Amino acid sequence: MSSAGVQQRELSGGCPLWLIERPGPAILSAKLWIRGGSSADPSGQRGASQLLAGVLSRGCGPFSGDALADLVEGRGAGLRCEAAEDGTLISLKCASDDAALLLPLVLQMVTSPWLVEDQVALERQLNLQTLQRQKEDPFQVAHDQLRQQLYGSGPYGHDPLGVEDELCALARPQLEQMTHQLGQEGAVMVLAGQIPAEPEQLLLHQLEGQSWRTQAPKRLAGASGLKQVSLASNVDETEQLVLMLGTTTAPLGSEQALALRLLHCHLGIGMSSRLFVALREEHGLAYDVGVHYPARLGDAPFVFHLSSSSERAEDATRELLNEWLRLLEEPISDAQLQLAKAKFKGQEALGRQTCSQVADRHALVLGHGLPFDFADRCLLEAEALTPSDLHQAAQALLQGPSLSLCGPQDAIEAATAVWTGHPLNRS
Amino acid sequence: MSGLNTAPLPEPQRGQLANGTSLVQLDLPNAPVVCLDFWCRSGSGVEAPGEAGIAHFLEHMVFKGSHSLQAGEFDQRIEALGGNSNAATGFDDVHYHVLIPPEACAEALELLTDLVLQPRLDRSDFDMERQVVLEELAQSEDQPEEVAFQQLLKQSCLDHAYGKAILGDRDALLGHTPEAMARFHARHYRADRCCLSVAGPLAALQLEEQLQRSALAELVPSEADARPAPLQFMPGEERLELPRLEAARLLMAWPLPGAADQMSVVGGDLLTTLLAEGRRSRLVERLREQLRLVESVDLDLNVLESGCLVLLEAVCEPEHLSRVRAEINGVLKALQQEIPSEAEVERARRLVGNGYRFSLEAPSAVAAMVGNSALWDRKHNLQAPLDWLEEWDGQRLVQDVVPQLQPEQAFVLEAVPA
Repeated sequence: MSSAGVQQRELSGGCPLWLIERPGPAILSAKLWIRGGSSADPSGQRGASQLLAGVLSRGCGPFSGDALADLVEGRGAGLRCEAAEDGTLISLKCASDDAALLLPLVLQMVTSPWLVEDQVALERQLNLQTLQRQKEDPFQVAHDQLRQQLYGSGPYGHDPLGVEDELCALARPQLEQMTHQLGQEGAVMVLAGQIPAEPEQLLLHQLEGQSWRTQAPKRLAGASGLKQVSLASNVDETEQLVLMLGTTTAPLGSEQALALRLLHCHLGIGMSSRLFVALREEHGLAYDVGVHYPARLGDAPFVFHLSSSSERAEDATRELLNEWLRLLEEPISDAQLQLAKAKFKGQEALGRQTCSQVADRHALVLGHGLPFDFADRCLLEAEALTPSDLHQAAQALLQGPSLSLCGPQDAIEAATAVWTGHPLNRS
Repeated sequence: MSGLNTAPLPEPQRGQLANGTSLVQLDLPNAPVVCLDFWCRSGSGVEAPGEAGIAHFLEHMVFKGSHSLQAGEFDQRIEALGGNSNAATGFDDVHYHVLIPPEACAEALELLTDLVLQPRLDRSDFDMERQVVLEELAQSEDQPEEVAFQQLLKQSCLDHAYGKAILGDRDALLGHTPEAMARFHARHYRADRCCLSVAGPLAALQLEEQLQRSALAELVPSEADARPAPLQFMPGEERLELPRLEAARLLMAWPLPGAADQMSVVGGDLLTTLLAEGRRSRLVERLREQLRLVESVDLDLNVLESGCLVLLEAVCEPEHLSRVRAEINGVLKALQQEIPSEAEVERARRLVGNGYRFSLEAPSAVAAMVGNSALWDRKHNLQAPLDWLEEWDGQRLVQDVVPQLQPEQAFVLEAVPA
C-alpha cells in the first residue's frame, strides 16, 4: 500500500500507533493487536486469553460494565475484544464524530479492567456453553480433532475458547495475573478512516497520567507442529462425511510462506480453483470444498477440507488425497501460476474495501513483527516466483499430512481403507 | 440526529434500457473495486408445483456456461482479471454478483450478462450439478439448527413459498430436467423483472452504451406483472426432538408487513434492535446478563416481499426452556404497558443508523442494497432510510409494531436434543 495518508507515531509507553487516513464515509476503525492470544494460555489454563478478552469490556477505568455498554451502544458503535491464536484483538468501529468519546476506552480496557468476579463467572459460563454447542457442527468437530493431531497439547492445540475442564477452574486471580502481562510481548494500534485530531491525547487522556508500557511486536518464532502423520475419526450420525487433510507449515513472512500462499490461491480461492474444479465441477463430490491456511506466528496449518455424502466417501477420499499427492509430485503449470498470481493480487484489492478491513490487515502484519508494507512487498516478490519455487515449497512443507474424519461409521471405514492404501500415507 | 455525521450520501443514478430492464449506478470514487450485481425476481417463491428447488438449481447451472462461454470459463476469466463472483437465491429473488478492479469492469459486465441470460444447460453438466445441489442439501441437514429453522417456517407459513426450503427436496431435485429448467428461465428472466446494479468507481464506464448491445437489451418483457402472493401465517406451537442438538433452541416467528411498506420495515428494525442488539437491549440484558438462562438470544428482521418475518432464537439448556419462554413473553408484554424512554429509542436509532452507514462502505453491500430496491420499484435515495428512522419514537413503536410482536401472534418452536 502506498504511504500516502499513512503516519507512524508512538504512544507514550511505547505502543506504536499507525494512522491510515481514508476518504469516504465518516467512519473510524481502531484495532489494538496485543501479542499473546490463546497460544500463550498458561499451562492448565487453556481458554484464559479468550476469557480475559471477554471480560475486558465488562468494566474498565471509571465505567462499570453497564456504563461501558451504555456508552458504546448508545453511540451505535461496536466494541469487540477477542483472542485469536497469536494475539488478542480489540476492535472499535464508530462514527468518526464519536471518536473523542469512545477512543479513550481502548487503552482503559487493557490498563484498568475491573475483572468483577460475577462478570467473569458469566463470561466463563457463556464460553463453556459455546464450546458445547459447537459440537453440533461436524466441521467444527473434524477441525478440533485435526488441531489435536497437528499440535497435540502444544500452544496451537486448542480452540481459543479453551478446554472445558481447565476453563471451569479459571477465575479472577488467573485473569488478574494475565492482565499484568498484557502488552509485555508487544502490541500495536492501527486507526483507519477519518482520523481525529490529536489521536494520542484521546487514547491516553483518561489513563490518569499513566502510560501503558509495551513496544512494537518483535519478529520471533511461534509455536510448532508435531509433524506426525496420523488418522483420527469421530463417529457421528450425519448425512455427510467431513474430511480434513492437513499439516503444519511455516510462519507468515517466512521464506517459503509466499510460495505456499500462491499454492493456496491456486488450490482454494475462487470457483476456478483446482480443488473446486476437481472435486466439485468434475466429480460433483461436494458443495463445499476449500483450503484453510491462516496467518500464524508459528507453524501455520495448511488444510484441505471437504464434505461429501457418506455413500461417496471412498471416491471423495481418494480424490482429495490424490490432489495433495499431485502437489508433491509435479509443479503446477505456468498458466495455473499466472492465474494464482492474479487471484493473489485480486485478494489484496478485495481486502481493502472497508476501514475495518484495512486496519485489520495492517494490525495483523504489524502484530507479527513484519513491516507495514509487507503486503505490497509480497505482491512484488510473488511476481518473481516460478512453478518450480512453488513445487519446492510444497515438497519442503507439505509432506506427511494427517487426515481427520467425522461422519457415519460406514463412511469412516471406507475412507480409512482408501487412506491406508494410498501412496500419500505410505511415503 | 445530532452527533451522527451528516456528510451527504451519493445519489443512485437510475436508468432503463429500451426493453424496460432497469439500471442503477452508484459512484464510490474511492472504492478499490466495482461490484456488478444482476438481480432477477426469480426466487423460490415463483416456483410452480413440481418445480421445488429449481430456482436455486438454475443459479448453480448458470455457472456451468452459456451459449458462448464454456463451463468454468466465466470463473476462470473473471478470476484472471483479479475479480471474484458469487450468487444467492432467496425466496423472492436471485442475484449474481462480480467484484472486479475498475479497469476490467467492461469485460466483466459483458461476461456476466452473457452468462446469466443465455445459460447452456448441458445435460451431463446438469446431472453432475444435481449431485452438488444434493450435497448442499445434505450439508444443511447436518446442521440441526438449520433443520429447526426450516421446521419453524414450514409449520408457520402453511402453503406459502416461505414455508418451503429454497434448496428444494431430494425427490423434486431428482425429477428436474434441463428442458424444464430452460422453460423456467425463459418464463422468469424477463426485462421487467431484471435489474442491473453497479457500485464503485464509475468514472471511466460507458455503462448504458455497452448494455444496449448486451444480452440484457434482448430480454423481452413478461406478459403479466406477478407480485408475490401475500404471506400466509398461522400462530401456533410445536416441540421437536432433534438428533445431534447439543443445546435446546426456542424459536419464534412473527409476520410483519412486506418490504414495500418501508416505514414499517424501519420500525421493525428499530424494535428488534431495541429488544435484542447489544448487552443493554431488553432481551439480552434480561435473559443472558441478569437471569443467565441463555447462551444467546437473537432477533432478526428478515425483509421479504410477501411479508417480513421476525425470527427469534434463544439458545439454552433444555430444562430452562419454559422459563426462557415465559421471560421472553414477559419482556414483550411489558413493552405494551410502558412506552420506552427516548434514550432507549435513541440508542436503537443510532445502532440501526450506524449499521446502515457502515454498510455503505463496501461496494458489494451498496450494489446489493440499491439493486434490490430498484428490482422491486423502490426508488428512494440512500438518505431516505435515515430520515424514516427519525419519524419513529417510542410511542409510535408501541402503537404500531409492538402489538404485532406479541406472544399470541407468534409461532413457537421448542427444539430439544433427542
